[in-house]
Amino acid sequence: MRDTQWPRFQVFHQEHPDRPHTNAGAVHAPDAELALQNARDVFVRRPDCVSLWVVPADQILSLTAEEIEHTDLPPAPAGNGDSQRYLVFIKRTQVGSHEHVGAVAAASGPAALGEAVRRFGTADALVWWVVSESLIERTEAAEVGSLFGPAKDKPYRDQAFYHTTTLMRQIRGRPKQEP
Amino acid sequence: MKAEHRESLANYLTALGDDELILAHRGSEWAGHAPILEEDIAFANLALDELGHASTWYRLAAELLNEDPERHPDALVFARPASEFRNVRMVELPNGDWAFSMLRQYLFDASEQIRLSALASSQYPGLAQAAAKIRTEELYHLRHTSAWVRRLGLGTQQSNRKMQAALDLLYPDALQLFAESASELELAQAGFVPQPDGLLVSWKSYVRQDLTASQLRIPDGEPSAPAGRSEHTPHLERLVADMQQVARLEAGVDW
Repeated sequence: MRDTQWPRFQVFHQEHPDRPHTNAGAVHAPDAELALQNARDVFVRRPDCVSLWVVPADQILSLTAEEIEHTDLPPAPAGNGDSQRYLVFIKRTQVGSHEHVGAVAAASGPAALGEAVRRFGTADALVWWVVSESLIERTEAAEVGSLFGPAKDKPYRDQAFYHTTTLMRQIRGRPKQEP
Repeated sequence: MKAEHRESLANYLTALGDDELILAHRGSEWAGHAPILEEDIAFANLALDELGHASTWYRLAAELLNEDPERHPDALVFARPASEFRNVRMVELPNGDWAFSMLRQYLFDASEQIRLSALASSQYPGLAQAAAKIRTEELYHLRHTSAWVRRLGLGTQQSNRKMQAALDLLYPDALQLFAESASELELAQAGFVPQPDGLLVSWKSYVRQDLTASQLRIPDGEPSAPAGRSEHTPHLERLVADMQQVARLEAGVDW
């Protein structure tokens, strides 16, 4: 049987313009545009958010601290040949999330990983991710209002809005009626 | 504002609220049943927004009628018989398949975008403010539903066929969204609401563009807008009974 599951996209959200984009989790979507919309629905219900990125999960190259101990890093690039920009994300604690730390230029994904480790160091780092910047679909500044603004101001989404001294509780507290 | 204008505007807003409420209820029926988890969340999200918008319109109506803005919406939703709802028939129809529900939500969202843009310059300040605020949210709705209309229209033969079948059913009913209601012209002349015929023209050209680009054909001829908002299909009665089931267990209870 054909696999009908949609591909997975990793989602990075930014809570404040001064904070880095942080991995929020993943969504399934048929394409990048809908991945961005699903990311908004799944991860931006109430919290502050000023920007979202999505990237196909299978396009992310990953390297763990343990792997670095056992493998040789690709050599540093000789020149500035056919390089492109890769964004670098690092996860620093077991329960933490990948955080955007910067970008490197490299000719390939593996070369970008090596460069990322050299550039950003191994201190406190558990897992590195790199992904070509060209594969990132992002929200635009002009969309921030319509995408994220409304989530801040929706009291009716809170349970408390309905001041539910529930009917069931009252019914339970009521003396039993004689049949 | 003149007393008769207050009442007409309250009726106008209650009808808008009814459209939102009933569509929200239909949307909520997809919760747990949508084709994929992410869409389940998205559709519930849209439904919840529509419910919030209904609440906004009902509160504005309460203000105009000097009713309690806390109690009046509950009375409208939980104590009115189905025959007194003033929603368009399009929103009360059962959900059908995913194509039908998505297309209905799209046609409605497009109408909201057109109407809210005009209502944002209403001479009634409370209404103008509410319209401007809701419009921001509706931009996102339209972005989501139009993205789906394109994908289903241009997807496979099967998805296109289902969308076309949905459009053939929904389009004539959708025209009712802009059918002129009682006193609407007077309200428009006083600057409280926009002229309904202008809205219809804008909506038609807006959806035509999207639908044609999605390889969907607007049904032939110009279907006349069906009869007024006091006429309903039998589906509404069942929906309202469901919606009021708990409230009717004991009238006036706080829950």
